[in-house]
Amino acid sequence: MLSGVSIVCFAVSYAVALGLEVSRLLFRSGVRGAAMLAFAGAGLVAHSIFLYHRVVSTPGSPLSSQQDWFLIAAWVLVVTYLYLVYYHSKSPFGLFILPLVLGLIAAAAFFADAEPYARGPASRIWGMIHGASILAGAVAVLIGFVTGLMYLSQARRLKHKLPPVRGFNLPSLEWLQKANARAVVLSVLMLGVGVLSGGILNRITADPNAAPLPWTDPVVISTMLMFAWLVVASGITLAYRPARAGHKVAYLTLASFVFLVIALGASLMFDTEHGNPRTGEEKPAVEETVDLSPSAISTGGGRA
Amino acid sequence: MNVQVVGCSHHDTPISVREKLAFSPEQTLEALDQLRRVFRHVEVVLLSTCNRVEVYIAAAGGELPSGEQIAEFFARFHGLEMEELLPYLYQHAAVDAVNHLFVVSCSLDSMVIGEDQILSQVKQAYQAATDQDTTGPLTHTMFQAALHVARRVAAETGIHTHRVSVPSVAVADFAKQIFESFEEKRTLVIGAGEMAEETLRYLQDEGAHDITVVNRSPQRAVELAERWRGRARDWEELNQAVTDADLVISTTGAGEPVVTLETFREIESNRRQRPLFILDLAVPRDFEPAIADRSDVYLYSVDDLQSACASNRAARDKELPSAMGIVRQESARFMADLHHRATGPVIEQLRRGWEKPKQEELARLLNKLSDLDDRSQEEIRRSFDRLVNKLLHPPLESLRDEARDGIPHSLLDALSRLFKLRD
Repeated sequence: MLSGVSIVCFAVSYAVALGLEVSRLLFRSGVRGAAMLAFAGAGLVAHSIFLYHRVVSTPGSPLSSQQDWFLIAAWVLVVTYLYLVYYHSKSPFGLFILPLVLGLIAAAAFFADAEPYARGPASRIWGMIHGASILAGAVAVLIGFVTGLMYLSQARRLKHKLPPVRGFNLPSLEWLQKANARAVVLSVLMLGVGVLSGGILNRITADPNAAPLPWTDPVVISTMLMFAWLVVASGITLAYRPARAGHKVAYLTLASFVFLVIALGASLMFDTEHGNPRTGEEKPAVEETVDLSPSAISTGGGRA
Repeated sequence: MNVQVVGCSHHDTPISVREKLAFSPEQTLEALDQLRRVFRHVEVVLLSTCNRVEVYIAAAGGELPSGEQIAEFFARFHGLEMEELLPYLYQHAAVDAVNHLFVVSCSLDSMVIGEDQILSQVKQAYQAATDQDTTGPLTHTMFQAALHVARRVAAETGIHTHRVSVPSVAVADFAKQIFESFEEKRTLVIGAGEMAEETLRYLQDEGAHDITVVNRSPQRAVELAERWRGRARDWEELNQAVTDADLVISTTGAGEPVVTLETFREIESNRRQRPLFILDLAVPRDFEPAIADRSDVYLYSVDDLQSACASNRAARDKELPSAMGIVRQESARFMADLHHRATGPVIEQLRRGWEKPKQEELARLLNKLSDLDDRSQEEIRRSFDRLVNKLLHPPLESLRDEARDGIPHSLLDALSRLFKLRD
């Protein structure tokens, strides 16, 4: 019965919830809030069932493939959305978060590779740490992007002295700025763990006879670029307090999003060794080593 | 079943009269107690705010006190002459009374339409009457329906979201959109204009308590600071006070800006780009308009806010017909329910009258068919129940339809005679 749930089921539920969010701008309704929660909640249940089914039917799940990675990132975003809607029911978080959710699901359905990553017992734990931390970092960047957009939109309205738009009651600038700054810190920490664990993964699973995942791999380069950007930007904000305030932190998160898109795009578009079994063509493998790297973006996964 | 309201409001009654008629919370309890003793068998709720004094009276049966009797009670309670009150009192009965309560609860009859204080005042009035045991089934139903209607209007219209006074717009539509909380924010008041006081009241309601006053007259600054539980600073410290502040309300009578762009650049360099909300209520303006272009500065003048007020007023006026539509719809539904409830005893008798022969026939049949198993017996019982319900359905539906326009006395009488329900 569980296998009857498809990606379309929860994507449609989220799309309806997004439609209801858009309708906030058009008319008032006493039941819309409950309907939005019901559709998003139903989508999340279907989404969870789908992932559960993947876990029980696919060795190495969760995070066993590029597709899983995108779907779990979408799942985490939906949970975040429901949490925010519960506490800020009047704010249109869905207008910003649900398109990202649908984008991740679309990437999972149409672009991402559903073939499982190569895996092996030695690197299993590091692979999980690597994949989960990169995923958490990426979701933090997405949340930062959302709060950054909301900040700039709210600041623009206030600067131009415009009255609030019906159905578009954004949180206060102070709240958005705090959320933004926290998202930056979380993304740096999580990506840091992801990069480090990726490096370790590349070492411990290294077949002495196999070539390691090269640092010039597009996924590695793009992820390192994003991480470097976040480290530099966070360093500046720590050293120079005004950089943590107002528009600057919002622009910082928007730029981080661009780096994230580049990193995700690299994993989908370019020919990458990341996540592939690395048996070593020049030197025959002594033992089976497997890349457990569950993420589509990493620095040092992909050892076999 | 009778319902009526007698009272006066800001529409036709001057404040001098409303002041005399107003009931303090203690007086309200005393008045409810007296009303219960004077008018036995009626349910009473007394609503007294600065804009209205109203007595809601209901009785399941029997006569309600007249408007004159209520006026006499008001006059006696407050030691006034009847002639002073009578010209201002209004009286609504039945559906008009219910409609009036709904309109009041939804803040559609308030001085500032859409203000949300009235709903809590209605709740308090209802609670006080319940505590004094002067409410009953009718007033319970009426006031709970009023709260429901107010919630519905709030959810389905934007009547409460559109503020129309400059201070309320400044705080709700702008300051609260910048700051999440005002508890740790520093508010600076420059000058001593009246509107600053009103704005401060809104800010204090939101939790602002760190208030600094700067005035050219140090003595006046100290007086204001004491009144607002803040502290005073010298006029010479104005720049430092702006540097420290998160919110500035400026209302001086100065002929030229007290903070120029040049001065603000110096202030800005020490603020470390913290957001600054400036409400410039002075005419001519106290802050040079170019300051508004600085980063993280949100500067609003009276004109800016008045245009926001005007657009809010227009938006609110657009919502008014739909809010009134909801009230009318709910009033009609409430009255229909109330009338339908009056048919309850006849319906009950009718059901009982049909139940008895049903049970007798059922017993006789089951007695004859004693070899039936339990399942078949149960099926026969259900079939009899369905038959009675189907036979009762048309008269009950007719009663419900007739109850929409009032208690259907003639139909009730006809049913009673047809089915000999008097016994």
